Amino acid sequence: MSYKVGIFMQFAGVAAFCFICVVILPLFYGLYLTFTSWDGVSKTKPFVGLANYAATFADTDFWVSIGRTFFYSFFAVILVNIVAFLLAYMVTSGVKGQNFFRAGFFVPNLIGGIVLGFVWKFVFNRAFVAIGNSLNIEAMKNSPLSTTGGAMFCLILVAVWQYAGYMMLIYVAGFMSVDQSLREAAKVDGCTNQQATRFVIIPMMRTSFVTCLFLTITRCFMVYDVNLSLTGGEPYNSSVLAAMHVYNQAFTYKNYGTGQAEALVLFIICAVIGMWQVRVGRKGEVAA
Amino acid sequence: MNKKAVAIVLAASTALSLAACGSSTSSTGTAAATSAAAATAAAAATSAAADGTASSGAAASITLFNSKMEIQDQFETLTDTYEKATGVHVECYYSSDTVASHIASKYAANDPYTIMMVDAKDVYSLGPQYAADLSSEKWVSDTNYAIQVDGKTLGFPFCVEARGLMYNGDAIKKITGEDFDPTKYETLDSFKELLAKLVAGGMASPVGIMKEDWSLGAHYFQEVYEERDDVDSFISSLKAGTEDLTKDAKFNSLMDTFDVLKENNYAKDSAISAERETSEMKLAQGDIAFMFGGNWDWAEINQYDYTDGIGMMPVPQNTDDGSNTKLVGGGSKYFMIDSSDATNDAERQAAKDFLNWLVSDPQGQSFLVNDCSLVPAFKSNTLAVQDPLGASVKQYADAGNLIANYNYDPDDHYSKVGASMQKYLADQIDRAGLATEVEDYWKSVK
Repeated sequence: MSYKVGIFMQFAGVAAFCFICVVILPLFYGLYLTFTSWDGVSKTKPFVGLANYAATFADTDFWVSIGRTFFYSFFAVILVNIVAFLLAYMVTSGVKGQNFFRAGFFVPNLIGGIVLGFVWKFVFNRAFVAIGNSLNIEAMKNSPLSTTGGAMFCLILVAVWQYAGYMMLIYVAGFMSVDQSLREAAKVDGCTNQQATRFVIIPMMRTSFVTCLFLTITRCFMVYDVNLSLTGGEPYNSSVLAAMHVYNQAFTYKNYGTGQAEALVLFIICAVIGMWQVRVGRKGEVAA
Repeated sequence: MNKKAVAIVLAASTALSLAACGSSTSSTGTAAATSAAAATAAAAATSAAADGTASSGAAASITLFNSKMEIQDQFETLTDTYEKATGVHVECYYSSDTVASHIASKYAANDPYTIMMVDAKDVYSLGPQYAADLSSEKWVSDTNYAIQVDGKTLGFPFCVEARGLMYNGDAIKKITGEDFDPTKYETLDSFKELLAKLVAGGMASPVGIMKEDWSLGAHYFQEVYEERDDVDSFISSLKAGTEDLTKDAKFNSLMDTFDVLKENNYAKDSAISAERETSEMKLAQGDIAFMFGGNWDWAEINQYDYTDGIGMMPVPQNTDDGSNTKLVGGGSKYFMIDSSDATNDAERQAAKDFLNWLVSDPQGQSFLVNDCSLVPAFKSNTLAVQDPLGASVKQYADAGNLIANYNYDPDDHYSKVGASMQKYLADQIDRAGLATEVEDYWKSVK
């Protein structure tokens, strides 16, 4: 027993210590704070029992923002994965300069979300409007960020632009991991190229899909940085996604306990969806 | 046993998380070299406190937290000057965090600043716990803007800021041909005539409106509360849900004016995507003549190629309660001195001396007015204010024509009411809808 502990400490001790310090302890401390009415500032943290959870369920703004997050994630996840898969398909098909394209599509992912938000804000507010004015297109004369639907559209568009390159890399790895002999065998058996992709390659890449879906779903549900710098919740707080609502509740409105309780609810929603998706995805995995 | 373990775990995690906060903020504050010096100073301070020795002799070093980032350079020059003059070293930090939470994290780490610059509302919320009583200081009688809580003076007013309608007098003169005299346009009717004249003279839309929620909610709509005799009872009847805003004279008067501003907004069709920078630039260059704002907007305006003749006037209204002859404002940014055991009496005295020096020494006075272009909150400081918006504010302040700020809004007020105002600005709701949303908001406030 102690030998096992010794071995564990030797190899994973430092990492485990760090993980416990920065993830596990804050999680439990946060859990404790949900039972207090702390405002984030004062010295005292009065114990209030389940009042924060009651407040969470009564907070319509929170549930509206959750609904909005579902809407955003639904479209963003689907579009990111379709675009990423198509990109991956193209840059593994042996097109000329495909390494250059791979790097090019990946670059957006290297820009931080805050910067990305500001860049796109400029594009939507200035470039988009300038094009609309010069071509005299009525629908493009106003910034899409100034309407409720437009702001959501912009958020989804930027998410696709940001994540598609990263997910593409995972799909590329998926394509590469399937041995060429399988495709050749399928062809010998009379498959066309498309049929080989559809019935042989894609089922073999199932892990890639599971990974990509998991990553995009969790990222979309937790998105904050682009939300903050691209729309800031505007117009009239109609583009506040769940994470931003939680932040505002805890830090701006100084209801730390309620914000923490809402964060926990968001965490549970994400965890449930993420785990369910991975379970379902894993079930049908095949190996060559 | 189990409880003990949990307690230890909790304590350890708090200590860890707070230690992390503390170190990151101080390293963002100043350059590495200075923070090292500060660390030793802080260590000295805490060890002195730990010894429990009564203060003897003057403190050689104190710390100051500056939450007006734009004047950090001026502060560092000032503390050099102060050290040369008095031998006391003032280490100056800044942070872009929310002021209250930054201060709280420093207290949690038991490493508070000796002097901290906070917003007015923080004096009320943090002051009673953390601030030293300054009632017996010389400067108290020299200002109208110090903050008292429970009979104790806790907040030292750093400067005066006020809100009103900013104008570009040159742009107006160019069209009307006569010098712009804001006192002629106190009523909405006369203001409308002027706007019509400007439009006829070629300035198609003479007004800019900031769409930011803090400007619409916390600055413009806020005047609905502030421009009345008994603000507190009005707020409590809003909370009780007994107030009908559509029948409120002040609400209607200010919204009448807002409608006129909205009608003449240069970005009328896309009011909600107008960028503050663009609007300020247009005002600076005279493309538009009016915009609601405050003297802090000078920091933006002076970035552009501005014309002279910029100033600030009261929001025109058809009213006879006198509010159309006054700006709304008062003290902005307050110094508090730490009262906890982490600061000893010698340091506290040094901090008090520093504040007195800031008020009465010519170098201190010149720092505020000339170096920082701020409006002084003290009567004895008679230096001419540098920026034109500030000069307008000082003119109204000196004449006693400032309506006091209301500092007790709930923290989500600016965001919620600001969002309702944005909807009104974008024609998503009408005035009755706005009234209902604001009434509903206040009813939800506990």
